[in-house]
Amino acid sequence: MVKNITIFTTNTCAYCQMVKKYLGAKGMTYEEVNLDEHPSRQAEAIELSGAMTVPVTVVTKHDETKEVIIGYNLARLAPAVA
Amino acid sequence: MAEEITEAQKHDLVIIGSGPAGLTAAIYTTREDIDTLVFERAVVGGLAAVTDKIDNYPGFPDGVDGLKLADDLRRQAERFGAVIELGEVTGIHDEGEFKRLETTSGEILAKVVLLTTGSDYKKIGAPGELEYYARGVHYCATCDGAFYRDKRIVVVGGGNSAFQETIFLTRYASHIDLLVRSTVKASEVLQDEMEQFVKDGKVTIHLHTTTDEIIGENNVVSKVKGTKDGKDIEFDVDGVFVFVGLIPNSQFLKPTTIRLDEIGFVITDEHLQTTMPGVFAAGDIRCGATMQIASAAGEGATAALKIREYLEGRLHPLQN
Repeated sequence: MVKNITIFTTNTCAYCQMVKKYLGAKGMTYEEVNLDEHPSRQAEAIELSGAMTVPVTVVTKHDETKEVIIGYNLARLAPAVA
Repeated sequence: MAEEITEAQKHDLVIIGSGPAGLTAAIYTTREDIDTLVFERAVVGGLAAVTDKIDNYPGFPDGVDGLKLADDLRRQAERFGAVIELGEVTGIHDEGEFKRLETTSGEILAKVVLLTTGSDYKKIGAPGELEYYARGVHYCATCDGAFYRDKRIVVVGGGNSAFQETIFLTRYASHIDLLVRSTVKASEVLQDEMEQFVKDGKVTIHLHTTTDEIIGENNVVSKVKGTKDGKDIEFDVDGVFVFVGLIPNSQFLKPTTIRLDEIGFVITDEHLQTTMPGVFAAGDIRCGATMQIASAAGEGATAALKIREYLEGRLHPLQN
C-alpha cells in the first residue's frame, strides 16, 4: 500500500508532466519538489536516484520501504502505485 | 488464440503516438465523430514537448514553448472527444476488417491504425555514453539542464536541435563547448541567435571535432575525448548533452508486413497508407518526412482525411 509519493520536477520537463498526469488520472496525491524553485534539494534527488535527471518519483509504502522511479517509466510506475 | 475482445475495445481508429501528427489527426477525426483512441508510451506532444522553444511553427510570431504547444494540441484534441491512453502498442496484426493490436493494456481492435510514433534522439555510440546515461550524459536539455548550474557542458551536434538546446542550456551552464563533427547544419536564424553567446564567451563552437569517448572519475563525468582537425583534443566537463539526429520509433513494426526503408522509416503511398491495408503513417515516422512540426501537423490532417475516405470505402490504392 502506498503511504505517500514525492516527485522531483523542473518547470520545463515534459516527462514530469506525464508522471503528474498519470498519478492525477489515478486520483493519487503527491508532493511535488520543483528543483527550479528549490535548487537546494537537487542533491537529495541525486542521492535518491543516483541520476542527474527528472522526474524522480519516490513511492513510500506503509512499511516505509521506498521505490525510486527515474523518468516517466510506466512499466515501473504503474505497479509501484497500484 | 486471441483473447475475447469486448465492444468497448473496438475502435474505428487507433492512433499510435501523440506528437503533433497524431494529435492533429485526432482533432480532425474526432470532429467528424470518428471514434478515436490515441496511445502514448512516453510524452504527450512527442519530441515537440521536450523542445525548449519552437520558433518556426506558424501562428506564433514570438515562438512558443514546446511544452505549451503540446499541451494546447492535447487540450484541443480532447475537447472534441479524443481519448489518450497512456500505454504502449507492441504488435499489429492484420485480421481483415479489423487490425488486432497488442498493447500494455491488453488487446484491442481497430478498423484503421495511424502510425505517428515519430522519432527519438540518436546515440553517438561512444564509449562511456551508455555507462553515464542520466549520470552525466543526457538527451533532454529541458529535463536535465537544471542539474548543471554553473557547470561546464559539452553539447554534441551541429543541427537545429543541438543549437536550440545549447541556447537553452546557457541559462544554467558556466560554459558550453559545442562539438560539431563536420560543419554547422542549423538554420541561419539559430546561428544568428547563437552568435551573441559565442561573443560573450559562453559558448565555443568546435567544427570538425569528433566525440570519441566520455570519461568519468569517481562515477562522475569529467572529460570528453575527441579529435579536432585530426588531432587529439580533450574537454573538461561536468556533463554531456547529445543531439546528433533522429531515429524512427518503428522497432515494433519489424515483425509485421508494414514495409520500412533501410533506416526504419515507414513507407507509404500518396494517400499515406502503408503496405498493410488500413494502416496509415504520418509525421516523423514516415519515409520522406521533413522532421518539422508544421509538416507533421499537416500530414496528420491529410492522414485524417484519407482515413475518413478509407472508412467510407472511397479510398483505393493505385494499381501498379
